[in-house]
Amino acid sequence: MTWRRERWTADHPLPIGVTKRAQVGELVRAGDIIAAGAALAGALRVPGARRLGLSPSDLDRELRVPVGSDVVAGTVLARVGRRFARSVTAPIDGRLLHVTVDGDLYIAPIVDRWTVRATLDGTVARSDDAVVEIEGEAWCFQAAAAYGPDAIGELTLGVDGPDADLAPTRIDVRLAGRIIVGGARVSAEVITRAHACGVAGLVAGGVPPAGLRVVYGDTVTASGSPSRDDRPTVLCLMGFGSAVLPRAVYEPFAALAGARAAIHTASARLFVFSTADVGRAETPSPDVVMGEGPAAYAPVERAVADADRGDVDQEEPAQTDEELSPSPSDRSPSER
Amino acid sequence: MTVSTGTEAPVEQTGVALGRSLRVALVHGREEASRRAVAHLALASGAEIVARVRATDPRSFVEAAQALRDAKPDVVAIQGGAKDEGALAELLEALRLGCGAQRPMPRIFGLVDTRVAHGLRMHASPFEFERFGAPSEMVEALRDLRRGGNGEVVLRDAVIEDAARALATTTGANALAVDVTERSTSFVLASPDGRTEAAHLVPLGLGMGADHVVARASLDNVRRWLPWPIDAPALLERVFNRGRRPQGPATAEATVLLEMALAREAIAHALRDTAEAGLDVSAMRSAPSILITGRAASFPKSGQSLLVLVDGLEPSAVSTVFREPDEGPAERIAMVVSVIPRRPAKIRIVRASGRSVARVIPGSFGLVAMGADVEVAVNGAGVRGHGRSGELGVLIDARGRPLSLPERDGERIPAVARWHTALGATAEERTST
Repeated sequence: MTWRRERWTADHPLPIGVTKRAQVGELVRAGDIIAAGAALAGALRVPGARRLGLSPSDLDRELRVPVGSDVVAGTVLARVGRRFARSVTAPIDGRLLHVTVDGDLYIAPIVDRWTVRATLDGTVARSDDAVVEIEGEAWCFQAAAAYGPDAIGELTLGVDGPDADLAPTRIDVRLAGRIIVGGARVSAEVITRAHACGVAGLVAGGVPPAGLRVVYGDTVTASGSPSRDDRPTVLCLMGFGSAVLPRAVYEPFAALAGARAAIHTASARLFVFSTADVGRAETPSPDVVMGEGPAAYAPVERAVADADRGDVDQEEPAQTDEELSPSPSDRSPSER
Repeated sequence: MTVSTGTEAPVEQTGVALGRSLRVALVHGREEASRRAVAHLALASGAEIVARVRATDPRSFVEAAQALRDAKPDVVAIQGGAKDEGALAELLEALRLGCGAQRPMPRIFGLVDTRVAHGLRMHASPFEFERFGAPSEMVEALRDLRRGGNGEVVLRDAVIEDAARALATTTGANALAVDVTERSTSFVLASPDGRTEAAHLVPLGLGMGADHVVARASLDNVRRWLPWPIDAPALLERVFNRGRRPQGPATAEATVLLEMALAREAIAHALRDTAEAGLDVSAMRSAPSILITGRAASFPKSGQSLLVLVDGLEPSAVSTVFREPDEGPAERIAMVVSVIPRRPAKIRIVRASGRSVARVIPGSFGLVAMGADVEVAVNGAGVRGHGRSGELGVLIDARGRPLSLPERDGERIPAVARWHTALGATAEERTST
């Protein structure tokens, strides 16, 4: 669990139906569209080489439309002969998707469009129909798990200290498009509210797994669930539940606030694009016990403020590694 | 792990590992036998099943291709007959569309006859297509991939299979090994002639695989095994955080009880997958010798390992139970007598020092103290068998099969607590119920 500034690579898997994609060597910035394509429905198989009387290997030569092109119904896909010409035409509007080994053609109707955006400033290192890989330099924090689609936005501190939980009331539409640092914990309510307000993503020390299940479904696991659909993006920095951010983790957030950032959910990484010096490049973070109760670190001002307030809400002591938390009214049989 | 080659021989240090994770997509014909065959291959090889596509898959060509792309398989295992060839060829086209650009490319392993293989090989281009004549050859090839080509590595699966085989040979009867680790759950049924049937499920375990146990079994099904009520969110948090750090053997009671709950569900769900893959689950449940290994064998008390086994596996006959922790010697812990009486019945227990009669009422569950490790024969109440008592004695389990827990907390929690107490699985003294 460290902040490091070095060269990173980020894979961007592409759905089927890519139309355009960035080429190897191209310079991109986080947030740029690096691939675009069409979402396709059930494909039709159209006889190709057989209809034209060709061997499958010769079909490529006679194709009038490159594979991956959009076509309208009646478009000649392949044609042979002059006086007694034989041709294959598109039966529907859609995309010429695939040519089989037998020389048949798959045409699929287009039902939607999609784009994939870069999550790293840098150079395209690999680009094919399955993935665009970008290599670039950035500050990076390797988190425990990430959920939802990739997110890009301005890094914004949503809490006053590393031990604070992000309150739902602090989220509003003015934070749309930003990546909010939520302190020790973000709840399901915060996640859904942030998504409704257009917040790009949330970053927190811990996220209660029960909340993740509410948002992402009961099949969600601790290894994260990157997706492409319209869902909230959440990055769990330390683990699950509530985790006070150690000094080595929180201070760089404060220093980097306002910088462009991106959450790459497949690798559970937060990239921040800033040349700011946030301290040592390889600051080892201390071992963090999840939800260790009182803040391991709090700025002096906050500590003073807390002392002045007196009636400040205390975070419930969370469970330790060797202890389950029974319901308040329940005890183990041995205790009874 | 240290493998001793004999009492006087020097100890041979062997590198035992889970092997690298191998992602396998299963593509099979329309017959149920085909589905079972290919699932059996994946389970036997310890690979992680990341996608299943049937020849009659209702998904469209594009959806099947996308599912295969998202699965990022290392290997695609294909099984089917001659009448499936056309449908399998179409699925290979979907694979070409979905994974043609994947690096490294998936390899295709086919368990098909030569003629079908010839047809499919053409459609598999540019993927490497290998045909196997026997399931065991494909399992070996898949394990070789898990070893990463390093012949020095001994997979944990192979060690468990050897242990089951050795137990079967020694006892002259079928033996079952049940292994539960951080991220895998295994069953190996060995017969005295050396044949084995194995299923190694990944990821399904007590550490990194614990969240998968909850995702499959549901949180309520894990929670029902705890002998006191607990907050669902707090339990979920514990489970999710288990995978974050490697855990040593549990020592605190609450942690042990959580691991026991997870282990029961891991075993039960692994058994379900094993049955779906066509393995003989009834033979596993009735094996005269059962060996528990891994994390399930490393609980502080042998009664805890025994309870996990009987609740998760639900043995159906008379079995002698052994346990072998990763860092300790094997020990015989108890003899389990599973009976399903409809009315109060008697079981005669015969041993060298005499005979006794145990009265069994439906739903009862408890140990009959027998003295350490004595030869015992039992008969009555529809059960007959013999074995050795081990450290704990004879466990008579008359809770019925399938084992069902009361729905309401008020009934279930006392029952579960009673079972724990009966085997000394909690801090309280062991007593018969």
